[in-house]
Amino acid sequence: MTAVMVAKGLAKSFGDLVAVDGVGFSINQGETYGLLGPNGAGKTTTISMIAGLLEADEGEVRVGGDLINPRAVTPKRRMGLVPQELAIYPDLTARENLEFFGRLYGMGGSELADRADRVLDVVGLHERQKDLTKEFSGGMKRRLNIGIGLLHNPELLILDEPTVGVDPQSRNAILEAVEELSRAGIAVLYTTHYMEEAERLCDRVGIIDQGKIIAEGTRRELVEMVGEKDRVSISGTGPLAEVVRQLSSTVGVAEAGESESGVTLLVEDSSSHLAAILSTAAQAGMAVSAVEIEQPDLEAVFLHLTGKALRDV
Amino acid sequence: MKVLAIARNNLVRLFRDRSAIFFVFIFPLALILLIGLQFGGTFAPRLGVLAPSPGTVGAEIIENLESADGVEVVALSDETGLKEGVERGSLSAALSLPADFDERVAAGEVSEVGFIARPGGVGAALQPVVAEVVQRSVLAANAASFVAAQDLATFEEALVTARTIESQLPASEVQVTTVGEALFPASLGRFDIGASSQLVLFMFITALSGAAVLIQTRELGLSRRMLATPTSVRTIITGEAGGRFLVVAVQGLYIMAGALLIFGVDWGDPLSALAIVVVFSAVGAGAAMLLGTLFRNAEQAGGVGVIVGLGMAALGGAMLPIQLFSPTLQRIAHLTPHAWALDAFAKIRAEGGIGDIGLELGALAAYALVLLLAASWRLRRAITRP
Ligand SMILES: Nc1ncnc2c1ncn2[C@@H]1O[C@H](COP(=O)(O)OP(=O)(O)OP(=O)(O)O)[C@@H](O)[C@H]1O
Ligand SMILES: [Mg+2]
Repeated sequence: MTAVMVAKGLAKSFGDLVAVDGVGFSINQGETYGLLGPNGAGKTTTISMIAGLLEADEGEVRVGGDLINPRAVTPKRRMGLVPQELAIYPDLTARENLEFFGRLYGMGGSELADRADRVLDVVGLHERQKDLTKEFSGGMKRRLNIGIGLLHNPELLILDEPTVGVDPQSRNAILEAVEELSRAGIAVLYTTHYMEEAERLCDRVGIIDQGKIIAEGTRRELVEMVGEKDRVSISGTGPLAEVVRQLSSTVGVAEAGESESGVTLLVEDSSSHLAAILSTAAQAGMAVSAVEIEQPDLEAVFLHLTGKALRDV
Repeated sequence: MKVLAIARNNLVRLFRDRSAIFFVFIFPLALILLIGLQFGGTFAPRLGVLAPSPGTVGAEIIENLESADGVEVVALSDETGLKEGVERGSLSAALSLPADFDERVAAGEVSEVGFIARPGGVGAALQPVVAEVVQRSVLAANAASFVAAQDLATFEEALVTARTIESQLPASEVQVTTVGEALFPASLGRFDIGASSQLVLFMFITALSGAAVLIQTRELGLSRRMLATPTSVRTIITGEAGGRFLVVAVQGLYIMAGALLIFGVDWGDPLSALAIVVVFSAVGAGAAMLLGTLFRNAEQAGGVGVIVGLGMAALGGAMLPIQLFSPTLQRIAHLTPHAWALDAFAKIRAEGGIGDIGLELGALAAYALVLLLAASWRLRRAITRP
């Protein structure tokens, strides 16, 4: 697989504050790569260096083999950036915004008009294309903000927390649009501090904290890396102490304990052991009323790696 | 092409802003109208004239002074009123013709006329104008008295002839060599001086208000977004500077055309006037760009822009004619681009061409260059190192 973007050893400090500290990763063609981390982790700073907006103190970024920095010009054609903060002209219409940035991407004439139409459809703003964007709702502005990044059909689309402050409906539309682009073969770099978004969209995830990527891989790999187990909660009544004792020695169960509504277990690969667990519980005299399985998620991974929750800010 | 796209974008956005349209296009012409109506007539310096028995020549002098545009003649009855008027400033200057003036001139004798003005001010600058008028009349009278002395005609008859001849003579032949230029050329219309002052004043304020637009563009992350496209920093900066330039130049040309068509303002040689507007717009664009990099906050820059714009206009002679300044202050005034632009306009109003304003255009171009270079340097830093 060919890498669209390779970043190596990126570092950036603002005065004494080390914002990014040796970040390196690559994104393959058609891949969606997620950068997951809490506020202030260094996501935007990393992205700014990758998009060639910010000079890196150390390290380098290559896109399609070409070096990227604030002085690079032509290689930036391959990338589309959707900045975290809205960057649209309030006193221009949606269409004028698209056309202006389209010209900066070297487009013009009917090509630009066609692409603008296409993008307005994708972001659902065709009806409002002639309205000034200052009259738009927050969600509409966000969608236009994304549209500008898509306009020139980039090979790599960089989205910096595109769903922050967006209503659930717009948010879903945005996520669907990203999935659609990914299916169309565009490589995507997606930053977020929403674990669910990273899980839903990303083929691979880099977990970033305090300027460093502390773990990277597919969701499965990450979960296995930290050896997290499934949490199985069985609700019901009966001789709970005895149930716990018997379940503790059942295959696959790492830990068992009483809970308010029944028993809670930490189980390795719960799907293959669930039947045995439930029959053991029944044999021990428990009347089971409900079973709930929580598989470990990236949130748990983050908690495990850093000892803090992703959104404890 | 991208430079044009960015520059054009600035112009489009200007026309979207109703308050900007008012301040850029409507307000300046309204002010030219207002100032022209209010002061166009009385703004002219008041010249007191004391002539107890003017006689033929004296009357002619008074008549010529009255018909000179830009000078208001006030008849006085005694010496005290004359002195006090000048002292208190109700008169810019005063001329007194001795009681025997006419007789002595008719006799071909030398007659002294009195001229008083406070040193340095507009009154002193009036002296050459008055001197010229007196000389012209006396010259004709002298010629007539010479003819009368030869008994070829009576003095009165000869004077009529002499005047006819004089009016046919090329002006330069009669002109008295006095140091300094006439303060207000005789052909000046009531709106003319005000118009060029308003022009540079408003062009510069509009330019500086562009600093806020520039900061807004950065604040809104639009500069960075431009940098994310395949567009070089230089193109972005050139485009933004071009945008500021276009806005100011469009306003300048609009005020010029409006003042010409509505108030009949005579700007002088069109090519020269165009050149001044273009170079002055470049100065404005440079100043706006620099101001835009000195502040991070758009409102702050906007406020400072208006203050600086008004201050420089006042210092540069766009509020009060620079001729009213002391020589030292006049030199200081030339630290502002306004003074140079106004000098250039004055020269082309006085029939000068593009060749006569080379110095002024050069000074303005130097301003533009220095400001644009400094601004580009700072803006490059601001865009690439947030
Ligand atoms: N221009 C700047 N000047 C000074 N410090 C900065 C600047 N930009 C970012 N930082 C600091 O660098 C660190 C990383 O910031 P960054 O914006 O990259 O975080 P982030 O992961 O994008 O956070 P968020 O999820 O809140 O957007 C933060 O501590 C931030 O305060
Ligand atoms: Mg961020």
